[in-house]
Amino acid sequence: MSRAEIESTILEWIQQSPRQEDDIQFERLALALFRCQYDTSDTYARFCRALERSPSTVERFSDIPAVPTGAFKEFDFRCFEMTDTIKTFRTSGTSGDRRGRLHLDTLEIYEASLLASLRQNFLGDLTGQRPVMRFLAPAANEAPDSSLSHMFETLRRAEAGPGSGFDLRDGRLDLEALAGAVQKAKQAEAPILLLGTSFAFVHFLDATVEADDADWQLPRGSRIMETGGFKGRSREVPAEILRENLAQRFGIPETSVVNQYGMTELGSQFYDSSWTDPLGPRRKLVPSWVRVRLIEPATGQDVEPGELGMIVIHDLANTGSAAAIQTADLGRSVYNEAGKVIGFSVLGRFEGAEERGCSIATDIMLDASRGTLPR
Amino acid sequence: MSDIKIQWPDEMAEQLRVAKGRINLAGPALRAMTLEERLRTIRLVLEDWTAADSAWRRELATTFGSDSPFETGTVREGLDAALRAWNPEALVSCAMRELAPVLDSPSLSLSPFAWTAVLAGGGIPMPTLLSGLLPLILGSPVLMREASGDRATASLLKRSLDARSPEMSAAFEHLFFTKEDVAFTEMLDAPCVVATGSDETIRSISTRLQPHQRFVAYGHQFSVGILGPRLAAEHDALRRGITGFALDIARWDQTGCLSPVILYLVGLDPATNLTIAGLLAEALEELHVSMPRGPLSVRVGASHANEIAEARMRQANERASLFEGTDSVVVLEMSSEPRPAPLHRFIRLLPVADIDTLGESLAAFAGQLSTVASIGFPETESQRLRAILANIGVSRFSQPGRLQTPPIDWPHDGMPLLSPLARFTQSD
Repeated sequence: MSRAEIESTILEWIQQSPRQEDDIQFERLALALFRCQYDTSDTYARFCRALERSPSTVERFSDIPAVPTGAFKEFDFRCFEMTDTIKTFRTSGTSGDRRGRLHLDTLEIYEASLLASLRQNFLGDLTGQRPVMRFLAPAANEAPDSSLSHMFETLRRAEAGPGSGFDLRDGRLDLEALAGAVQKAKQAEAPILLLGTSFAFVHFLDATVEADDADWQLPRGSRIMETGGFKGRSREVPAEILRENLAQRFGIPETSVVNQYGMTELGSQFYDSSWTDPLGPRRKLVPSWVRVRLIEPATGQDVEPGELGMIVIHDLANTGSAAAIQTADLGRSVYNEAGKVIGFSVLGRFEGAEERGCSIATDIMLDASRGTLPR
Repeated sequence: MSDIKIQWPDEMAEQLRVAKGRINLAGPALRAMTLEERLRTIRLVLEDWTAADSAWRRELATTFGSDSPFETGTVREGLDAALRAWNPEALVSCAMRELAPVLDSPSLSLSPFAWTAVLAGGGIPMPTLLSGLLPLILGSPVLMREASGDRATASLLKRSLDARSPEMSAAFEHLFFTKEDVAFTEMLDAPCVVATGSDETIRSISTRLQPHQRFVAYGHQFSVGILGPRLAAEHDALRRGITGFALDIARWDQTGCLSPVILYLVGLDPATNLTIAGLLAEALEELHVSMPRGPLSVRVGASHANEIAEARMRQANERASLFEGTDSVVVLEMSSEPRPAPLHRFIRLLPVADIDTLGESLAAFAGQLSTVASIGFPETESQRLRAILANIGVSRFSQPGRLQTPPIDWPHDGMPLLSPLARFTQSD
């Protein structure tokens, strides 16, 4: 299969309604995409050969070598000519940092994937209703290499109604604009959607700590999507506390606060199940064109059911780079009562962290090397 | 019949108050001893711990080993090497040196703190042993909050004190409670607080203390090894150095602040660098037999797997060389850019052109570097290197194989041993 044929099939799958789970189709497409990426990316092919894997030896998608996310900081994974690059997304960081980069020669699958997941897991009943959306993130023209800003802009164009806009400008949260939009939504008794980075929401909470909760109570049907962690840009707040605080400040159920797990290196994202399945266990939902494996770090084999493992993602939306990605995160499968896997949970940064002894922690050492260590 | 265990919320705080009461009662007897008597007693206790066939050390190796993340062989070797490097006489000399103003002056005297709170940290016994003993020398009773990673050392220390001096043993108490426990807050009422921990822990404690309280903090740091250009021609020295560094890396599974996390290769050609990496991997593999690495948690394992995968990617693209052993990883990088250090016998070799470049590279870690071991430099260059490194806060220079076995009187975090814990009174 050529890349064009693979992409066409994947696009069709993503846009299917209702979408079908299809393990056989996934396996077939994953192996075809692996062959294509192996044949066109020398960097990736050399990595695969070092692991003694190639399209002729790999028979299952789970044997496809996964690229560690950190490698995107050092190498360009492109399955196309450099001159065909139309977009490069970069991971967050300062100018002194090496930043991971995802090069794209098409945005078609990327945008189809992000919209399909957002519609299914966050917009739901509001799909096509053009609700007001306020984004606590910089606009795409202010942050042209931010995949998150691009996602929000794509969503805004496709689904947002009049009065929508971005409330983070020049690194500052425009509380007035946000308050104005909330007031209008309240007057119209129409749901409003707030989407942004976790640290922007923490800044919002800190900035409105003195406010009367009634000022920020959102109309029924409103919801929040937060993502991206803190990265030293605000105080760190555990996920469940952030959720609880946001629900309280905005007067919405906690199930209406949806976390997104995503990363620049991926074409697809994972949303909390709390909006679509408010009574079930909160877990990350996996799009049908993606597979998530939890592996035992030392062996690379899938962990036993219920065990903690490293998260490896096989994302068919990553057609132009590397579809198999090894993350630095830990997670656990979540099962339903019948024992079927219905999603996964991501372990927080500090959960399960044991004492490292008195040798300085790695991240602190790196901070010191960048001169950003707070001392 | 059901077995109901009830723990009331301030149980540990009550235990702490009881322990504090006991050391308060023991305080006068401790202070009634002269400085020389206290030093003599501590010296005897230390001799008991550092003797060739020390029963205390043997017992600690057994009890600590069974409850720690380290393998027994690693614990035994680590304790033997570190404690046998301690010379009790050196502690006495150090005390005499540091306290000379008191000993020599008719108008200056020691005024021991009513008690000293020692908040032990990390998972290695030696700092706990020493931090428990030092305030006693000065006449201040000790209440120690044990490290969560070491629940064996303090109780053995108390027993060893008791064997030599019941009075001194009575002035030493130990407990364990979490940082969230109300007892922790009461511990911080001490007139002198000694803490070992991460920057975050130290910051958090310091904000909870009053200005009049003495606070002696030992932060988390790291150490490095440096191999110089002479090694290209000195094969025996190279092999000895590599064997020593392998031991430094394997000891305590590289989790102590005296563990090297990077070996810098200064002014050596790529072929020699590759030879060094290979020799180091071999030396670490040999140690696997007698000092196997302890099991890795999933989080540490994931950190290893991630760094290995990235190194493999660089190796495949000729930017690094990766050597994976049974329980160790050696990565020879092609650049000196800092990268994560997952510890647990994961060592990076970073090439740098010369001493000045090395100095610039390490300047970024000013205040974070504890000890440096170097070999392979001419004497003049060695001195220049030490001057550069001392300037960025390195508190100890050593040799390969001795990074983790400092003398008892080394200036931990650049501080004198006893005087930060002492209080003086002048009489005009």
